Amino acid sequence: MTKSASLYTESRKKEILSGRKNYLFLTLVMAITDFKIKYDNSILGYLWSLLKPLLMFGTLYLVFSVFVRWEVENYRLYLLLGIILWNFLSEVTLNSMVLLESKASILKKIYFPRWIIVIASSLTSLLTLLLNICVFFIFFIFSSAHLQTSALFLIIYLAELYIFVVGLALLLCSLYPKFRDIHHIWEVFVQLGFWATPIIYPISIVPQKYHTLIFLNPAARIIQGCRQALIGPGKEFLGLTNHIIILAVALCLFAVGWAMFSKLSRSFAEEL
Amino acid sequence: MIALEKVNKIFRLPHDRRVTLRQRFVSLLKKNTYEELYALRNINLKVNEGEFLGIIGKNGAGKSTLLKIIAGVLEPNSGTVSVNGNIAPFLELGVGFQWELTVKDNIFFYGALLGMSRREIEQKYDWIIDYSGLERFVDAKLKNLSSGMQVRLGFSITVGVESPILLVDEVLAVGDIDFQQKCYNTFENFKKNGRTILFVSHDLNAVEKFCDRVILLENGELKFEGKSDDVLSRYKSPVNLND
Repeated sequence: MTKSASLYTESRKKEILSGRKNYLFLTLVMAITDFKIKYDNSILGYLWSLLKPLLMFGTLYLVFSVFVRWEVENYRLYLLLGIILWNFLSEVTLNSMVLLESKASILKKIYFPRWIIVIASSLTSLLTLLLNICVFFIFFIFSSAHLQTSALFLIIYLAELYIFVVGLALLLCSLYPKFRDIHHIWEVFVQLGFWATPIIYPISIVPQKYHTLIFLNPAARIIQGCRQALIGPGKEFLGLTNHIIILAVALCLFAVGWAMFSKLSRSFAEEL
Repeated sequence: MIALEKVNKIFRLPHDRRVTLRQRFVSLLKKNTYEELYALRNINLKVNEGEFLGIIGKNGAGKSTLLKIIAGVLEPNSGTVSVNGNIAPFLELGVGFQWELTVKDNIFFYGALLGMSRREIEQKYDWIIDYSGLERFVDAKLKNLSSGMQVRLGFSITVGVESPILLVDEVLAVGDIDFQQKCYNTFENFKKNGRTILFVSHDLNAVEKFCDRVILLENGELKFEGKSDDVLSRYKSPVNLND
C-alpha cells in the first residue's frame, strides 16, 4: 500500500458522507427482507421456528426437573429465559457469517458499507428475540412468579447483550472471508459456552472458586441479571458494578470488532 | 465528475488458494506462491458531467475492473479515485434479487441497495411497475417470473434510481431486440438529460452511435483515448494497435 492509497480512502469517505444518506433505510429494508425470508412472510412461519427452541427447552426441562432436580424456584422460567438469551447470541454470531456469504454476489457488484449486512442480520435476530420474550411472558403469566419493578432492568440488559453480541459478530465476520472454517469453530465455542454458562443449572452447584471464571463471560452476567430482574431471587447482579463490568467488556469488544471489520471489509469483494 | 489518478490494481492469484484455518495449518510449511496480475496499470482518466464515455477492449483488458473501482466495490492498490455524485451500477442486472419475495418487495430491496430512500422508491414505484410491464405480477414471487421479466424488472429499477452517474457493463446482451431497443432509447434520454454514463460493450455499433469519447484498454493499460470513430478504427485494425 502506498501513501496515495490512503488518500483514496479519504476521498471515498467524503463521497459517502455527501452522496448517500440512505444507509439506515437500506439496513432496515435488509433486516425486514431477511425476516420475511426467514419466516416465509407469515406468522405461522414464526411459530414453526419456535419449535426448535421449545423442543430444546422441553427436553432439558424434562431431564433436569424429573431425572435431576435443581433447587431452583420457577425452574421453567429460569431455563426458558436462559435458552432464549443464549439462542440470540448464537443466532446473531452464526447467522451474520452465513449472511455475509449469501450476500457475496451483491458485495461484488454494488458498493454499500459492509457493516450494513452485520447490523441488518442482528436486527433480524433482535426481532426474533423480542418475539421470543413475548412467548416467555406467556409462560410467566401461567407461573407463580410476580412481576416486579426490577423487570425494567431487562431493557438495559438486552441493550448490553446487543452491543456485546454485535461486537462478536463484527469480529467473526471480519475474519470469515480469510478463514471460512471459523464458522464451524465458532459453533463448537457456542456449544462450549452453553455449558460453561449457568443456563440449565443454577450457579449454586458450581464451586465458588470457578465463579470468577464463569462470570468473565458478560453473557453469563447478563443472563443472571435478567433472571434476578424478572424472577428473582437475589440482587447481586442488579447492581451498578455488574453493569459497569458488562458494558466495559461489551464496548471493548465492539470497538475491536468495529475497527477490524472496517479494516478487513475493504477487501471483501475480492475474497468472498 | 469522475477523476482517476495513477490508479493501479493488482490481483494476486495464488496457485493454491487458502481460505480456511485448516488449509493454512496443513500447508504451513509450504510456501504460498502466486501470480500477480496487473488488472489496471497507471490509469489516468477524467470523465466530465454529461459525458457518454465508451470503454472498449478485449476480454481481460480490465474494463470491468475499471467500472468496479469507480463503483467503489474494489479498492485500488495505489492511486486516487474521486467520484462526485451517486452511482447507479448496471454491472449486472438483478444481483440483489430475492427470489423468495414478491416483485413489490424486490423493488424496495433493490431500490434501497442502489441508494434510494423510502420516499424516492414510493414516488417511483408506479413508474417502475409501468416501465417493466409487470402490473399483473406485483404480488408474484420473483422466482416464478420468466427470466425476461426478471431482467426487465432489474433494468426498470436501475433506470428509476435517477442517479447522475451510470455504469453500464454489457447488460444489453441479455435482452431480446425489443428490450435492447428500449435500453437504447433510455440511454438516448439519459444523454439528453445530461447524465454521465460509462458504457462497456463489445457492440461497437452501439459504442459508435452513443459515445462522445471512447477509451481503449489493453492489458490493463489505457492505450487510446479520443473521438469514438478514431479509437474504433484503431481497435478494428490490429496493425495500428502497435504504433
